[in-house]
Amino acid sequence: MSLLAVSNLTRRYNRGGETVAAVHDVSFAIDPGETLALAGPSGSGKSTIARLVLRLIEPDAGRIEFEGNDFLALAGSALRAHRARLQMVFQDPLAAFNPRATVARVLDDPLRIHGIASRTERPHRIAELLERVGLPVDLASRAIHEISGGQRQRIAIARAIATKPSLIVLDEAVSALDVSVRGQILELLLDLQRKQRIAYLFISHDLGVIRAVAHRIVLLDAGRIAESGNARAVIDSPQSAIGKALVAAAPRLDRTMQDAS
Amino acid sequence: MTALVSIRDLSVSYRRDKSEVAALKSVSLDVVAGERLAIIGESGSGKSTLALAIAGLLPRGAKVDGGIAWYLRSQPALGAKAPPSVLPDISPARGEIMLSSPLSPITDIAKEERSAKLPISPLAGEMSGRTEGGVTERQPSAITETELPLLGRDIGFVFQDPSASLDPVMTIGKQIAEVARTHLGFTWSQSYAKAKTLLERVRLPDPDSALSAFPHQLSGGQKQRVAIAAAIAAGPKLLIADEATSALDTIVQAEIVALIQRLVAEDGMTLLFISHDIALAAELAERIAVFRHGTLVELGTTGQIVDAPTQAYTRALLDAHIGLDAEPLLDRSGLRR
Repeated sequence: MSLLAVSNLTRRYNRGGETVAAVHDVSFAIDPGETLALAGPSGSGKSTIARLVLRLIEPDAGRIEFEGNDFLALAGSALRAHRARLQMVFQDPLAAFNPRATVARVLDDPLRIHGIASRTERPHRIAELLERVGLPVDLASRAIHEISGGQRQRIAIARAIATKPSLIVLDEAVSALDVSVRGQILELLLDLQRKQRIAYLFISHDLGVIRAVAHRIVLLDAGRIAESGNARAVIDSPQSAIGKALVAAAPRLDRTMQDAS
Repeated sequence: MTALVSIRDLSVSYRRDKSEVAALKSVSLDVVAGERLAIIGESGSGKSTLALAIAGLLPRGAKVDGGIAWYLRSQPALGAKAPPSVLPDISPARGEIMLSSPLSPITDIAKEERSAKLPISPLAGEMSGRTEGGVTERQPSAITETELPLLGRDIGFVFQDPSASLDPVMTIGKQIAEVARTHLGFTWSQSYAKAKTLLERVRLPDPDSALSAFPHQLSGGQKQRVAIAAAIAAGPKLLIADEATSALDTIVQAEIVALIQRLVAEDGMTLLFISHDIALAAELAERIAVFRHGTLVELGTTGQIVDAPTQAYTRALLDAHIGLDAEPLLDRSGLRR
């Protein structure tokens, strides 16, 4: 059974009196421990889908099943319980956190809110989480604004895994990182996937990164699915117009000025 | 090879929380006239500080040592002077770039001349220069040999975020026309005609109605096209693109890179392309300068840098690039299904 099954999802926006479908009749599924990438140009609907799956916004039509439940029908404490299993990491963790909060505070919140650990256990659990994401334990007392971007993204991942999720939505989660840090964060995500069988909905504009970490890909264009399949197969030989355009536009080291001349 | 800009022992530091942070440490680099030079590096490498220093846009309070010498062909308004490249045995003058407010006392001859003849750019901080050092080092001729550039006229600057560099309450047409009017001495109607031509050159759809449009009515890629049109409006010698495509999606990025490439070729501009993306830089630039922690790590032709880097850090940057032909991490991690 799929971990997440999205069927016929549609979300419309009103823009200047006109109704525009940001997401139109989109269906896909993610298995446990699987990485599904959503790719496409700006405005193709990838972030809208992320927000729908997280129920930050509600769809106009369609169905979302998560861990066998009708996710859109959940409310109150049942929704809260499921939210713990469905976490998110965004592009800019500085925007997601209170910059003046300490690292410990940021990690303490989910443990407290979801009743995962008692007050006395929590410092120990925070230390454990920091270790799991490869950070020194003494970082706990530092403020979010004091630590580096790479460290902050590790904290965002630590917070996401604090509630033992089965699925994490990663919305351009490595896009703003320096390339040297990006590699480490991708390795960390794969390591967590291997050890805890976490599935990822991996939203990115970077086909190189997607090809490196995703099992399958859904290519979106203007809110509709243009193409989907095995990530490597689709990227190596795209069939849709948008797939071809995205592949052609990806910067490549083997297409340097020297080769051109 | 003739240098357009000659940077010597340039150090820049900022004051932050009562301590000095060095952003550039004794950097020496020539920007060759007519070349496409990429400056690449990660965050904190100093690449943007270098761009700002060259453009004279360093924030007030930045501490600057060393010099940036310019070899601009003389503009008629400044009186004809032979380009320094044809004069024998001239050592570049050291000019310390500093930001001064229009109200600050004018202490420098070169600036006095300039101020008398040229309007102050409305677009950005004015640039001034002064020769460095005491009487002994001073070369009277040097002031005339290296001319001081004016942002907007001699340097076009394209920033990462076009929404932040365009005025939200001024029409597209006026923002571009203003540059032409200020630096080319055009009338408003001439300037608007120039703006329309520029919008056609940057391939903005429907240039006629775009003239009276406001930035918020355009997409991110279109806004960047407008910012580029404004940057090249006065026919600058040097175009600086500081992460100008980083906020755009891949397809739009490729379009903007192609646009910059075409405009630079058509107008014979020198291009300084600042980027964190070594692959993108390699597709566009003839030479690449790799920066890290405020120092120039390696400089070479694109072929040398990509195929035979001499520095471990350059190698690491190349290895960190995840191209469409990279071995998937999934395979290495045993996660392939």
